[in-house]
Amino acid sequence: MSETRPAGLDGSALKGPFPVGEYAAALRGQLRGFRRVQVFGEVSNLGVRAKAVYFELRDVNGALPCSMWRSDYDRLGIDLHNGTEVVLGGGCDYYPGSATSSPSFTFRATAMRVAGEGELLAQIERLRRKLSAEGLFDPQKALPRPALPRSLGVVTGEGGKARDDVLAGLRRRGWEGRLVWAFAPVQDRRAAPLIARALQDLVATGGVDAIVVARGGGSVVDLMAFSDETLCRTVALLPVPVIASVGHHTDRTLIDDVAAVSCSTPTHAAESAVRVHCGEARTAMTGHARRLQACGRRAVIERARRLEDLTRAPAEHVARQRSRLHQKLRELRAAGRRGVELRRAASAAHLTTLTRRSAAAGVEHRRAQSALGPAATDLDRVATTTLARRERDLERLRLALAAHDPERTLERGYALVSGPDGELITSATGARAARRVSLRFHDERVAARIEDGS
Amino acid sequence: MSTPERSYETASARIEEIIKRLDSGEAGLRETLELVREGRELVELCAGELEAVGRGLEELRLDELVARLEAGGSGGSGGSASP
Repeated sequence: MSETRPAGLDGSALKGPFPVGEYAAALRGQLRGFRRVQVFGEVSNLGVRAKAVYFELRDVNGALPCSMWRSDYDRLGIDLHNGTEVVLGGGCDYYPGSATSSPSFTFRATAMRVAGEGELLAQIERLRRKLSAEGLFDPQKALPRPALPRSLGVVTGEGGKARDDVLAGLRRRGWEGRLVWAFAPVQDRRAAPLIARALQDLVATGGVDAIVVARGGGSVVDLMAFSDETLCRTVALLPVPVIASVGHHTDRTLIDDVAAVSCSTPTHAAESAVRVHCGEARTAMTGHARRLQACGRRAVIERARRLEDLTRAPAEHVARQRSRLHQKLRELRAAGRRGVELRRAASAAHLTTLTRRSAAAGVEHRRAQSALGPAATDLDRVATTTLARRERDLERLRLALAAHDPERTLERGYALVSGPDGELITSATGARAARRVSLRFHDERVAARIEDGS
Repeated sequence: MSTPERSYETASARIEEIIKRLDSGEAGLRETLELVREGRELVELCAGELEAVGRGLEELRLDELVARLEAGGSGGSGGSASP
């Protein structure tokens, strides 16, 4: 390369020509002299190199090539991604290049912060209320979630730590089923639709019982994909339970709300997807099988013994009853004999008493007879006397009565006068009043008329 | 998707119930034998499920699965995937 200055352009009024390096250096000086400012926009074409971080800052109207020394970037502790909205502080710079390296213009950032976290959170909150009002937080939670799925789907970044964490969780459960990996970007603007697509494909073709969506955490901006409205609606309406694990403790993403379960780490998500500890469950099942077998055998053996006892029991019972009956019979016979003896003794006693009383009565009778002898004679005599006297009295009375008998009076010439009504007429007045009378003589009646009128 | 008529958890819960009932000693012979038979069937079902997830982890990639299905002429990945 020649160091001699060549002739300038014919007829040109411009200064120069200058060596390009000199001009480039002057240009750098000029650019560096520009006022230092703050600019904001969205990061794209991010490249993290050993010495510096390069990216373009864009908005709808234009873009600026930016860079930041790696030492400055590392001090910030920001996890920069394409799509992140940032505010940069810095100024223009120009690398003049060299004989072997290309020159470049850059906005050299010396300060940076992630923009709009507050707005993002507010935006997420608005969307959260909207989805909640539509009832989209419920369908996933109502899905039956198998405790022991045969097949699991996992949506995560390929090569990310989350993948190892999921595997670690599954190993902890002793689960060795069918695992379908659906790798998708998990943090930039392309992530949400690709994750949604992966979920739908898993359901359509993966034949999975549950799906884990895992990411190893990040800032609100990093996790914006998991609050994407379309993705969240897709998750809410999936017929397979989704276990979300985007590893963010402070600010929940919307996928945490719509998913069936939300876990803090991918390991926990895996354990939540397989709730059964397979090794322990196998041991328990072996125990259950043994117990059931023992129960069945014991039940049969116990019943068989009882049946055997029952089979013996009737004979023993009959024998016992028979001996009891014999005993009763003996007692009855003895009691019968005793009763007869007692009655016989009682009868003999009665007989003796009666005999004695009979004898006594005979004696008494005889004594009474002998005592009554004179009295009876007196009585007979008194009776005879009394009888004779009474007969005499009766004859006298009979005669007296005969003297007064009307028939006898009629026989002596008297007559009874009675009226037509049969009543006796005892006066002349009565006879005159009656006019017709009946005269009864001792032999018969005669009708008569009273002529002695008044 | 594995959708056994009776899921592992309902089967294992029923086994617990059965064992509790048997332990109570209140079941008669007929019921005991019936419960033991049911319990054995359920243990077999659960053991089958555990066996299915105990034969070594089978890892697949969804994109390969989809490609395989598409190559097999099944006609796309299905679903109304958004772009």
